[in-house]
Amino acid sequence: MNANAPSSSSGGAGSPDVNAPRRNSKRPKYSRFTQQELPACKPILTPKWVISAFMLVTVVFIPIGLVSLFASRDVVEIVDRYDNACIPPGTKSQKVQHIQDARSNKTCVRSLTVTKRMKQPIYVYYQLDNYYQNHRRYVKSRSDQQLRNRGDENDTSSCDPENEANGMSIVPCGLIAWSLFNDTFSFSTRNNSQLNVNKREISWKSDRDEKFGSDVFPKNFQNGSLIGGGRLNESIPLSQQEDLIVWMRTAALPTFRKLYGKIEVDIEEGETINVVLENRYNTYSFSGKKKLVLSTTSWLGGKNNFIGIAYLSVGGLCFLLASTFTIIYLVKPRHLGDPTYLSWNRNPGGH
Amino acid sequence: MSLDDAQIVNVNIPQQQSPNNSSSQEQIQSKSWRTNSLQEPGFVDLGSKRVPHGSRQGDVDSERFSISMSHREINDEDARLVYVNDPLKTNERFEFAGNSIRTAKYSVFSFLPRNLFEQFHRVAYIYFLIIAILNQLPQLAVFGRGASILPLSFVLLVTAVKDAYEDWRRHRSDRIENNRMCSVLVNEKFQEKKWKDIQVGEIIKFSVDDTIPCDAVLLSTSDPTGVAYIQTINLDGESNLKTRYAKQETLSKIPEKDMINGLIRCEKPNRNIYGFTGTMEIDGKPLSLGPSNIVLRGCVLKNTNWAVGVVVYCGRETKAMLNSSGAPSKRSRLETRMNREIILLSVFLVALCMAVSVCAGVWLKRHESELEILQFYRKRDYSEPEVENYNYSGVGMEIFFTFLMSVIVFQIMIPISLYISMELVRVGQAYFMIRDDKMYDETSNSRFQCRALNINEDLGQIKYVFSDKTGTLTENKMEFKYASIFGVDYSGERTNFEGEQRGYCIEVDGQVWRPKMKVEVDKELLELSKTGNSTKAGKHIFDFFLALAACNTIVPIVVDTSDPAEKLVDYQGESPDEQALVYAAAAYGFMLMERTSGHIVINIQGERQRFNVLGMHEFDSDRKRMSVILGFPDGSVKVIVKGADNSMFGIIDNSINLDIIKATEGHLHSYSSIGLRTLVVGMRELGVPEFEQWQSSYETASTAVMGRVALLRKVAINLENNLEIVGASAIEDRLQKGVPEAIESLRKADIKVWVLTGDKQETAISIGYSSKLLTSNMRRLVINSNSKMSSKKSLEDALVTSKNFLASEDEDTGGSDGNTNSVALIIDGTSLVYILDTELEEKLFQLASNCAVVLCCRVAPLQKAGIVALIKKRTDDMTLAIGDGANDVSMIQMADVGIGISGQEGRQAVMASDFAMGQFRFLVPLLLVHGHWNYQRMGYMILYNFYRNAVFVLVLFWYVLFTGFTLTTAITEWSSVLYSVLYTSVPTIVIAILDKDLSRRSLMTYPQLYGAGQRQESYNSTLFWLTIADTLWQSIVVFYVPLFAYWKSDIDGSSLGDLWTLAVVFLVNIHLAMDVIRWTWISHASIWGSIIATCICVIIIDVIPVLPGYWAIFELASQGSFWVCLLGIQIAALVPRFGIKMVKQHCKPSDIQIASEADKFGNSMELGGQEIEMNPARR
Repeated sequence: MNANAPSSSSGGAGSPDVNAPRRNSKRPKYSRFTQQELPACKPILTPKWVISAFMLVTVVFIPIGLVSLFASRDVVEIVDRYDNACIPPGTKSQKVQHIQDARSNKTCVRSLTVTKRMKQPIYVYYQLDNYYQNHRRYVKSRSDQQLRNRGDENDTSSCDPENEANGMSIVPCGLIAWSLFNDTFSFSTRNNSQLNVNKREISWKSDRDEKFGSDVFPKNFQNGSLIGGGRLNESIPLSQQEDLIVWMRTAALPTFRKLYGKIEVDIEEGETINVVLENRYNTYSFSGKKKLVLSTTSWLGGKNNFIGIAYLSVGGLCFLLASTFTIIYLVKPRHLGDPTYLSWNRNPGGH
Repeated sequence: MSLDDAQIVNVNIPQQQSPNNSSSQEQIQSKSWRTNSLQEPGFVDLGSKRVPHGSRQGDVDSERFSISMSHREINDEDARLVYVNDPLKTNERFEFAGNSIRTAKYSVFSFLPRNLFEQFHRVAYIYFLIIAILNQLPQLAVFGRGASILPLSFVLLVTAVKDAYEDWRRHRSDRIENNRMCSVLVNEKFQEKKWKDIQVGEIIKFSVDDTIPCDAVLLSTSDPTGVAYIQTINLDGESNLKTRYAKQETLSKIPEKDMINGLIRCEKPNRNIYGFTGTMEIDGKPLSLGPSNIVLRGCVLKNTNWAVGVVVYCGRETKAMLNSSGAPSKRSRLETRMNREIILLSVFLVALCMAVSVCAGVWLKRHESELEILQFYRKRDYSEPEVENYNYSGVGMEIFFTFLMSVIVFQIMIPISLYISMELVRVGQAYFMIRDDKMYDETSNSRFQCRALNINEDLGQIKYVFSDKTGTLTENKMEFKYASIFGVDYSGERTNFEGEQRGYCIEVDGQVWRPKMKVEVDKELLELSKTGNSTKAGKHIFDFFLALAACNTIVPIVVDTSDPAEKLVDYQGESPDEQALVYAAAAYGFMLMERTSGHIVINIQGERQRFNVLGMHEFDSDRKRMSVILGFPDGSVKVIVKGADNSMFGIIDNSINLDIIKATEGHLHSYSSIGLRTLVVGMRELGVPEFEQWQSSYETASTAVMGRVALLRKVAINLENNLEIVGASAIEDRLQKGVPEAIESLRKADIKVWVLTGDKQETAISIGYSSKLLTSNMRRLVINSNSKMSSKKSLEDALVTSKNFLASEDEDTGGSDGNTNSVALIIDGTSLVYILDTELEEKLFQLASNCAVVLCCRVAPLQKAGIVALIKKRTDDMTLAIGDGANDVSMIQMADVGIGISGQEGRQAVMASDFAMGQFRFLVPLLLVHGHWNYQRMGYMILYNFYRNAVFVLVLFWYVLFTGFTLTTAITEWSSVLYSVLYTSVPTIVIAILDKDLSRRSLMTYPQLYGAGQRQESYNSTLFWLTIADTLWQSIVVFYVPLFAYWKSDIDGSSLGDLWTLAVVFLVNIHLAMDVIRWTWISHASIWGSIIATCICVIIIDVIPVLPGYWAIFELASQGSFWVCLLGIQIAALVPRFGIKMVKQHCKPSDIQIASEADKFGNSMELGGQEIEMNPARR
């Protein structure tokens, strides 16, 4: 933008008070503020500035776009949908029945092939599709007070309909905690060496330190007639129940991933990983998908080409605009402030 | 003292005369001395709303009503009975207010309920309230309690604090006012009493320079003739002294000794400060009371040592208090347009809500069987012994609740806060208009005044200006110029006696008295006037100047000067014409020295003569004349009439002196053709029977309580006939400074200027020429008709002529400069009578729209309003009326914008106006500069506010589509509430007050730039739809870039919400920054400050551990993708807008664009810019 010389309209700034103000005069006191003559900068977008602005965007956006695309390409991601594979085939209600049955065998083995070398840390996520963790009934059903303070154990008014069971308060209360995801995964390589999954520090430090109390223990949890998900070890304080902490950070979108753990060794290309999983969580009732994701990470996060493409398109568009404007200015130049363009000069006699 | 004693020369001061000289004639004196036509119905009620056009029928009715009323006495139900000096009996029924006033609205206890009640009169607050109440229903609780009532309580609190502060100041001033002291007659002694303890019926006494505490009927004054002078500057702003009279019957009574007992019957309290009727019974004799017998609260007693009066109205029933109401409210054009668009936005809102609720219904239906077990829905509540539905009442109800909830969530789609912002902006704009030192008038020491605060932006769209002439285009400072006396024209060379003789003066008691103002005199006339009655010419001159000195309502006030041997006679009066005539008479040796209710003293060529004033018929705009009945020292009685020529020639006896009348008419024509104001004087001697007949009817009429005005008018019309012509006077009214230039500028700005005047056609035309309204190459079409048929014919003829003329002009010039030659229409009031309100109106409108200039002469006040209505009804163009007198009030109230000139003719016009200023020429900076700015700023602000709110609502809406249509907001509830209150509100207000698209200099130099407002370039439906399209695009970018970037990631709702919050706030602020034209430090501070404030707020919200979003912003900001998204959103969202703006700027630049480029680069348009090579693209 053209921001040279801060110019003020100095039309009447000279000496408006020539005659000494009479006593009792109501003449407004002169100041640049009241006369609306504060020094100001009036940027006018000349063609030069317009083209430079578009070029600047081009120059900034295209490299960022390229870097993002490369970063995304370097991310290795293995996604495995297991919800259908890990349940005996049947109708929806049969599946629901199977998953609700506490005695049925839910263990399932999957094997994944690594197509490209994965450098540690490899993040293990579970991904749920069609799961509305942002549903209004759901996000509201929690008590942050109770999670934080031992004394506020009975502060469950916001937790409906999962506020108490058998006449006692539930800790942690609410639908979110109640529906805790409880599939488990364990990994081993082809030669049967166990791949350790580090499940510590998968949640935000701030949550562990402040939001979930270190003296608040689960109580009366999943004791109701309807079991929504995982149970909690009642001897471990909430601040160390990292799966719960992760789960309680409700996802923004209906398709989301949650961190399960980290594998802190590199995995070579071509390696096959065997996954033994306990398929307990019920997504069959609403045809939600469950996926296991192993992914490395870049400075931009996971594998996602969108940002790169978006940046390249905007950069390209701006380049296009810059060239178009150059052509317009060359083909049809207009002198800035040219009075012949004024409406009363253009069509005399005005209509 | 007998009448003969009156003829005394050099008797010193009037006070020497005995107060007992109440001759029979004088008893009937004390009529109103006002000359202005203020008694006209419809204008007296100062707080009245617009005078409806076409209310002439109503006037007739009211007149008939008042006449019929006058035939009976005020019956006791309609009257207020005041027992003089008997407050106990008067207030027996406790029906009259005490004198303690309460301008304060609230007390400590009533403040809360009353203030809330008043605030909720506004639609905006009701909307807020309904939304807040909806939100309190447990089914619908979208926001928490706190967040939902925050916006409402914030606005209420701010307003309440403001109201409380103002009220506290009113309380304080009330207390001071109520505790002032005044002396009241108690037990036959005057005692000091507080104002608040004064009661109706009490007798009070005030001394010189006292402010009068209540409305009181005068009983006696220190002046033996019962005159009291008052200054009414607090009441109506007029600074000249006014005279009030005590009744002769009560004059002699001394309140302490004579028990004054009487009964006053008067009207119920009303707000007409120029009217009062009543009767007083003293000693069994009924006396009539009029507006000249009453002094009003707020006036100041001047030049009178003391005055005694009986209280009739107290406290809030006084006329001053009844009049303390605000200006009439109008609604601006822009706001009306905006309301239409807001209805559209409501339709959008309903559509969005419908969409959400229908989708929610479909979703529920499809998942109905799963709801019970769905982890995130959980239809049933198992915690209680009996299992019941939890917050679920069937799909139908859910749809309904969803609809209401979406209304709550999307509430700011309707930019209610815009109304509040607009009020603030208008206050800011008014501040700058008032402070503009280019609209300060040195001579009257007055600033520009904004009386209406809601039509600032209308000033930028004016298409028609209707202007009064006298006092508006001219200064209304009258100067006597020429005289035509009995057929002889005295318009020879002027001589100024400055230096030589220092004007005419007389000696009184060894002191030199001279008139305060000097007048240029005609030498020949001066010589002749000194000859006295000896010659025939001298006799006529004597009559003429005697008439000028006597037939008026001027009060001479003797003022001391620094020289003790010299005194100045200052003629105080309400009509500047009369002042000029009396000064002229004085200069020719007829010096008015004293006026009381019963007589006047005129010093004629050094000889003091006393005349009895037997009666006076004041000026009214129907008769257009006034008359005075004078008892001469020799016992003869004459009626002297002075008035406008058309009203005078009808009553002058043209059987005698026909050639004189003809000659006078010729002189009048030549005077008025050079722009002078003319008055004709006539005279007649009254015979004894005729005099007695008149006297008895005059007495009856002037003691009538109701309909007195109409009765008196009848008496006057009966008397004023068969006059002998005396002569005519010509008074010059000079054009105000800068009027021709101002009219030129307005014309260039494509504003049509119409002049509506009560003056003669010739005067109007000559003023038209001198003010450059008319030019010599204009084709003049004149319509003077006195029947409907002839009006119709002349209209049709004129229409054809104007069309032919314009067509031939087009041919001649090839349509290239059609503005140089144009048509001017001149039409008079008589023709308008037959045209307005009939089917001919349409023709007149067509004709007028062909004409560049329209001059209406001899128009009555209501016709002025009718002409304004003629235009207003038929076009969408904005009208502005400007005037200074009471006769302009109807026009000012009728026009879209009414402007009052605070000039010589009182304050009536100002009190009815929306804006007031000192000079006509300020119209140019007002319209061209401030009007343009205000319009441009307001138009932009409205569009921006639509955009700002809609973009946020759309972001919320898109998110709802991804939450199973359940109205979850990722953006925290506090942020959604603060969005329009804090995050984005300040910059738009600041920019709308301060931004200037063009400099004052450019706007003044190129009045054509004003066309932007007339063409509605800053706000129209194209711009609205473009804005909506832009909004849609921007909301899509803001929402979907993060959505796709974080799809299938582990981002949590709060983090994404923070990203959206920051992105949308940055975006709307940068969007505004992109449109700012002039960057001052204040604009920088407000825009960047808002962004910083938003960041701080988001951080504060995220460091509260009990909110779900704890620490989210920090986690988010530690990721690179957040910053990349934020940057990408801003650019991608703004590129289309920027690109289109630039293309338009280059290929189809607006006038404003060109002018601001010229402004900036200084290649002034005068140069044509040909020689400067600067195409930056090539450099």
